Amino acid sequence: MNALVEMLAIPVIRNAFIGMLVAGATLSTLGVVIVSLHLMALRFTLMHVGLLGAAAGMSLGFSATAGAFVLVPVASVLMGTLGQRFRISASSMTGFFMTGSLAGAFLLLARAGVPAMDVFGIFAGNILMLGRLDVVLVAVLGVAVVLAFVIGYREIQAVLLDRDLALSLGVPVQAVVAGLFLLLGAAVALALRLVGALLVDAIILLPGMAALRFARGFGSALVLSSVFGVIACAGGFFVAVRFNLPIGASSAAVSSAILGLSAVVTCRK
Amino acid sequence: MSSPAFLNDLAVTPHDEDAITLHRVSAGYGDGPVLTDLSLRIHCGELVGMLGPNGAGKTTVLRVAMGLLVPAAGRVAVLGRPLDTAADRSWVRLRIGYVPQVQAPPALPITVADSVLLGRWGRSFRFLRRPTREDRALVRETLELVGMAELAARDLAALSGGQRQRAALARALVRRPRLLLMDEPTTYLDQEAQRDLVRLIERLHDQLNITTVVVTHGREAGWRFDRTVYLNDGGAA
Repeated sequence: MNALVEMLAIPVIRNAFIGMLVAGATLSTLGVVIVSLHLMALRFTLMHVGLLGAAAGMSLGFSATAGAFVLVPVASVLMGTLGQRFRISASSMTGFFMTGSLAGAFLLLARAGVPAMDVFGIFAGNILMLGRLDVVLVAVLGVAVVLAFVIGYREIQAVLLDRDLALSLGVPVQAVVAGLFLLLGAAVALALRLVGALLVDAIILLPGMAALRFARGFGSALVLSSVFGVIACAGGFFVAVRFNLPIGASSAAVSSAILGLSAVVTCRK
Repeated sequence: MSSPAFLNDLAVTPHDEDAITLHRVSAGYGDGPVLTDLSLRIHCGELVGMLGPNGAGKTTVLRVAMGLLVPAAGRVAVLGRPLDTAADRSWVRLRIGYVPQVQAPPALPITVADSVLLGRWGRSFRFLRRPTREDRALVRETLELVGMAELAARDLAALSGGQRQRAALARALVRRPRLLLMDEPTTYLDQEAQRDLVRLIERLHDQLNITTVVVTHGREAGWRFDRTVYLNDGGAA
């Protein structure tokens, strides 16, 4: 315990811990949206677009996070808009963006001669490089996510239940969905920084999936996913510190364990 | 409310007696028109069956009436108000209850009472305004009306198709609508559930006197409509 307190006194470690905790408590609630709106393919595409953004950022000589932060929300809104305007199916749209982004990322990284360790950082994350500004960004996005659920609780609930029904009630479905896509895009971009492109699901998706196995309503699903997100991130952090392991991968392992346990428990009920 | 001028073209009497008026409406989704030059009137208080084969435009008529689809040509009035602007369409949506086809169990966990409460959206609560005690009382009252009071706390996904349709009917009725639109409400239900739902809708229509339009493939569910409108190839026969 003392060792942990001593470690948290180090600014780099403290920033990482706070960043993970806030992300776990807030961004994890978006998993409920992903599952309910069947956005599994979309979030996978956004991860690839994030890679392209990060690659573009590194190749152009500025931050990988900034590149992902700009490109992912833009792509998420673009996919929604283009899909509706040109009546392109969601699967075609995500397939196009996913493959194109991955190809673009590899080409950019190869062309710019980005060192292999930096490329590994994009895939696996580098949370110990989290600066104060990154922590502030995570906090701002976390507050935005919570506010969105507080302000538009019933509207989001209606859209997640049935988009056509929400339309018939007069809910501004397009605006609600665009807002959710924007938040999801920003969350994926930030999670890239925390746990890397390969482990974004540990924060964004798995806690929500576990929560939906227990929840009796929308509110309890959000609260449970937040609780599971905190356990995954804090638990992963402690495991990583205790056993000298990578933080992102440790959190992903705890998150997977929570989902596995929840599946076992709910199957036995 | 003053009479919309185009209604006079149809030489109809008291316009507030018409729940839905379509005058030479053409509408579609981009791949060509689904409705072509369609004119029809639904009178207030009627229980109307809208029949026709697949692709005849039955659902499109409902979408036009709800203001979800703006016609390429022609005029539409609902509850005496022409649907010319976005404000008109929003106005009318608040006064319509809509029951879709039987839906698959939702991925989102939601209790029956909460799903019915959503029907009050726009009527009493919306962004930043929370449902009131009165809303919740209305939900209880409406669930009793459709015989679902004891299932209020159950997860919607755990119900049978027939029970989910009753919940959908309650959600439409809790809006206290002046017009009830139903899109093939009995499709995918077994015969007993179909019969039960049809009797319930007919009883509620008699009891509440809400203008009700039911889109259906045929008469197999034993409906006793006041009037039927047959749509074929985008026009009424």
